[in-house]
Amino acid sequence: MTAALILNAVSRHFGNTKAVDSVSLSIQPGQFVGVIGRSGAGKSTMLRLINRLIDPTAGSISFGATDITALKGKALRDWRRDCAMIFQQFNLVDRLDVLTNVLIGRLAEHGFASSMAMRFSDAERTMAIQALDRLDMAPKALQRAGTLSGGQQQRVAIARALVQKLRIMLADEPIASLDPGNATRVMEALRSINSEDGLTVLVNLHTLDTARAYCDRIVAMRFGRVMFDGTAAQLTDDVVRDIYGSDGLAEFNEAVTSTSIKAGAHPAPIPA
Amino acid sequence: MLPPDIWQSWAEFSEIAKGLGETLSMAFLGTLLGAAIALPLSFLGARNINRLNILRLGVRRGYDFIRAFETLILALIFIRAFGLGPLPGILAIAVSEIGTFAKLFSEAIENTSEKPIEGFRASGGSRLQQIRFGLLPQVNPVILSVLLYNFESNVRSGTILGIVGAGGIGFLLSDRISAYKWDEAWSIIFLIIIMVYVIDYLSGILRKRIIGTWEAAK
Repeated sequence: MTAALILNAVSRHFGNTKAVDSVSLSIQPGQFVGVIGRSGAGKSTMLRLINRLIDPTAGSISFGATDITALKGKALRDWRRDCAMIFQQFNLVDRLDVLTNVLIGRLAEHGFASSMAMRFSDAERTMAIQALDRLDMAPKALQRAGTLSGGQQQRVAIARALVQKLRIMLADEPIASLDPGNATRVMEALRSINSEDGLTVLVNLHTLDTARAYCDRIVAMRFGRVMFDGTAAQLTDDVVRDIYGSDGLAEFNEAVTSTSIKAGAHPAPIPA
Repeated sequence: MLPPDIWQSWAEFSEIAKGLGETLSMAFLGTLLGAAIALPLSFLGARNINRLNILRLGVRRGYDFIRAFETLILALIFIRAFGLGPLPGILAIAVSEIGTFAKLFSEAIENTSEKPIEGFRASGGSRLQQIRFGLLPQVNPVILSVLLYNFESNVRSGTILGIVGAGGIGFLLSDRISAYKWDEAWSIIFLIIIMVYVIDYLSGILRKRIIGTWEAAK
């Protein structure tokens, strides 16, 4: 079903900026990997490189026996379908209803005429409703996507990923604009995709306690390079300070940025 | 001028009714024809669709060139080519609307959000599918509003086209004015006002019905 994802010295430069600087990673099937790092550390760029929304300047990415960086045309679109991606801003079409937004995940299978007419088969609609039902969103199927809350929109985006029959899940800061309750729901959905379907999940996160709670493996990036690669237990305070380069911050308190309900209900006061 | 004339026989009024109908159909056909040609052109002129700068700027200067000819001037030209009647009126409206619509549509296309389109790209949609599902739902309401308003505006400017001989109610109106039949002229103006009012009312209903409901998959 799924295969190992291997990044081999992948770089992406924007002008003189090295957004991703020769990153090599080997991600085994079924791993739940959290990517952390400062804003601008190259986390988003790395996910976009894997999905091929952008092309690498150098290096190669492979999934099983497939060389992702060499894909073109239909094969490239099939790869994008296989590695579903969700975004911080959900990227749904506000004016279309929820069901259509989910069915969009089936478009890679459609020819010109059926997609221009927005025509989907009953089997596809059943699949979409099942995916929505799995995320408790089936009752909202006929509502416009724009009228939903952020957390609901993100779950619709995950349902879309499910109907794509994904093989690997990429999530670009999926909970960064959600409240704690919705953030938990979205993370639980990703965990179920990982544990029940056995799929690899790669998620960019800003909240360290979320990364610790959900991820088998944490990869930290700084200035486009991988700074740390290990388990949550190996991610000590010293390492965290290195990753975020908390210059001037005497103390670095995870609870202050936490969006979790369980942990850190009473965050320590920020030193004046 | 007052009181306005009230036509006593159907024979008299039918001429006026035919003129009004002609103006209405000229505006309708002209707007539709203009929009049908402008829509594909507007994609060529939108920065986020057509990334070839030379072609895009060329197309945009093309819109400007067309807009430089006022509808009235176009009508005079087409009357020379096709003779008096509604055909030059329709063509004059259509051609001048190509320039206006193409500009307004392409700006609406440029003002759309990239995010839904990126959402599709990431799930394997082709460029055309991205435009169909990510972009068109965003621009459709704008296109509809522009179409309805310009249809109404063309009904009004259609009156002027009639005065220069391109068919419709304007011809009858100028005829009455030159014959000093002010009571009849006033009645015609009154009917034009009612017609514009009705169009505005109906387009409001149409907008609500179409934009109010969402585009659902079949």
